[in-house]
Amino acid sequence: MAIISLASLVLGAGPVAPGDALAVLVGEGSEEARFVLMELRLPRLAVGVTTGLALGVAGALLQAMTRNPLAEPGLLGVSAGSAFAVSLAILLGASTVTLTTLVAQAGALGGCSLVIAASRMKGLGNDPIRLVLAGATLSGLLLAMTSLLMLVDQRAADEIRFWVTGSIAGRQWSQLTTALPSLLLAGAMVVAVAQPLASLTLGERVAAGLGNHPGRIRLLVVLAVALLVGGATALAGPLVFVGLVVPFLARALAGADIRKTLWLCLPLGPSVVLLADTVSRLLAAPAELPLGVVTALIGAPVLLAIVRARRMPTL
Amino acid sequence: MRSPMLFNRSASCTPPPGYWQCLLPGKGEGLGRNLLFNRRATLVNLALMFGLALCGITSLSLGTVNLEIQQVLQALMGNGDPVSRFVIGELRLPRLLAATLTGAGFALAGCLMQTLARNRLATPGIIGIDNAATAFAVASVVGTGISVAPPMMALAGAATATALAFGLSGASGTRGYRFIITGLGIGAIAGAMTQFMLSRVAIDDANAAYPWTVGSLNARDPLATQILAGGCLLAWPLCLMLARGLTTLQLPDAVAIGLGRRPGRIRAGCLVVSVLLTGLAVAVAGPVGMVALIAPEFARALNRAGYVPLLASALIGAIVMVLADLAGRVMLSPLEVPVGIVTALAGSPYLLWILLKRPSGHLQ
Repeated sequence: MAIISLASLVLGAGPVAPGDALAVLVGEGSEEARFVLMELRLPRLAVGVTTGLALGVAGALLQAMTRNPLAEPGLLGVSAGSAFAVSLAILLGASTVTLTTLVAQAGALGGCSLVIAASRMKGLGNDPIRLVLAGATLSGLLLAMTSLLMLVDQRAADEIRFWVTGSIAGRQWSQLTTALPSLLLAGAMVVAVAQPLASLTLGERVAAGLGNHPGRIRLLVVLAVALLVGGATALAGPLVFVGLVVPFLARALAGADIRKTLWLCLPLGPSVVLLADTVSRLLAAPAELPLGVVTALIGAPVLLAIVRARRMPTL
Repeated sequence: MRSPMLFNRSASCTPPPGYWQCLLPGKGEGLGRNLLFNRRATLVNLALMFGLALCGITSLSLGTVNLEIQQVLQALMGNGDPVSRFVIGELRLPRLLAATLTGAGFALAGCLMQTLARNRLATPGIIGIDNAATAFAVASVVGTGISVAPPMMALAGAATATALAFGLSGASGTRGYRFIITGLGIGAIAGAMTQFMLSRVAIDDANAAYPWTVGSLNARDPLATQILAGGCLLAWPLCLMLARGLTTLQLPDAVAIGLGRRPGRIRAGCLVVSVLLTGLAVAVAGPVGMVALIAPEFARALNRAGYVPLLASALIGAIVMVLADLAGRVMLSPLEVPVGIVTALAGSPYLLWILLKRPSGHLQ
């Protein structure tokens, strides 16, 4: 992660050579390089780290709760719910950053309703693929509604169109600081819920026998996921597949225990997002690819790999 | 109606229940032809044709300028006042034709694909063919230096996506959900590429291409419509040839082979026809995938179980498309809501209901 962070700082379009950038990091270097690094790339790095953390952890939580290796905030419609809420807010003229974060989190909570409904239904929980299809449908519906909003107002459309492809470019420190408290709250909830969640993966009865309340655990998990995904979406737009790739890698490295997976998601999430971001800057320099495009290009093959695995892995 | 079963026996047998018999005299004893028509399918299709005509006339008369039914009919006959003649002949009739053709094409492709995969969720929209066709067509529109016409590019995209979905879903072929999820992944990649291309070009180009990428009949190209009409004419005889084999495709392969069919060949034929129709229809109207899901569903509900209602699907698809386009035009008038958004808003809740309520997503 340290290496990737460094690469993300040092590499990029623009008139700053990697050598100069390194010089700035050790406290020297020209004024211009210092500006590029401190004002442009450092906030970007911070936003990337935060988004990666939030999405990776949210993906791991959702997958553990639904016992479904394909459950991912982007695929299940949580991100789309959040994007729709923000589009609505942009259309209604909201431009303050605080409001955007709150609205995005409320939207994510709405998107989570599908997961809640599905986890309450018998049978669906055992069929990972149908849950994903239902999520894709919900995303489609919400995207159609977002498109409808874009038609209504051309000015908002331009703002929304750039935002819905997902990007961590041009973000300010202020945006990060407004999202931070809710993300910290979500982090505390994750810490509290990790141990009971591990028992829930053994089955509801076992969890209840161990003295936990399955319903309460689910509620906490859903709230934490909504806060995390909403916060990340408000910062970077809807990024699909990050929440799929990161826990997949973590499980491959650490095994199925949710507590170990969550720990491993902490360094892996930011690494994936920053890697995707650096690639997006380098591939199409001097312009950049939207980050959402790169994560989709990285994530969709992982989805195929999971589905192609001979036995559908269960959690 | 178009499913006559030919029997070469003597004309004296009684028709099976639910069929109409039509005797054609032959040249010798026992050589007469005995045509059997599926009674329910015939009635349903006649009713649907009537419904389509009704929807078409309604769609012609409503809009920014509301016309009387009589004016519409007169203009269709070639007389009437010049204004209504212009509105009908130049603006609304081509649009109506495009809607009918794309609706029928999508629905037919959906019906074939659902039958061959034995899964009602396996429609071109869900398995990513629509998205890939759109991505390829957008590539030719926004000027990446490829000067092939959008219909051909869309066709190439549809074929690529299908080949990928097949190749990547492994030995299971079109069976099961793996095929669909593979398609979902391919669709996601194609969608991301479309977004990327739109974000790279100038804002005016993006605005021009945008309604089309969500599915709209507004930005259609007359040439693409003509090519789609040609494709439909080509596909319909193929569908009739496949129709009887399709019914046996719902049975296990061993049974179908025992009945003298070749399931592999029928599947390949279905796949070719549905890729052709989807690609060409996307080139006209963009990805309006929901029609391919909803129309065969209604058609199956109207017909007897076990019957593959090709004509009914096409007719219902056309009706749905015409109505969705009409709704999009008048709903927020003078603003026009693209038909893809209307169908997504109407179709997604239904799809969710299928997924969450039914015990199984399978056809059988």
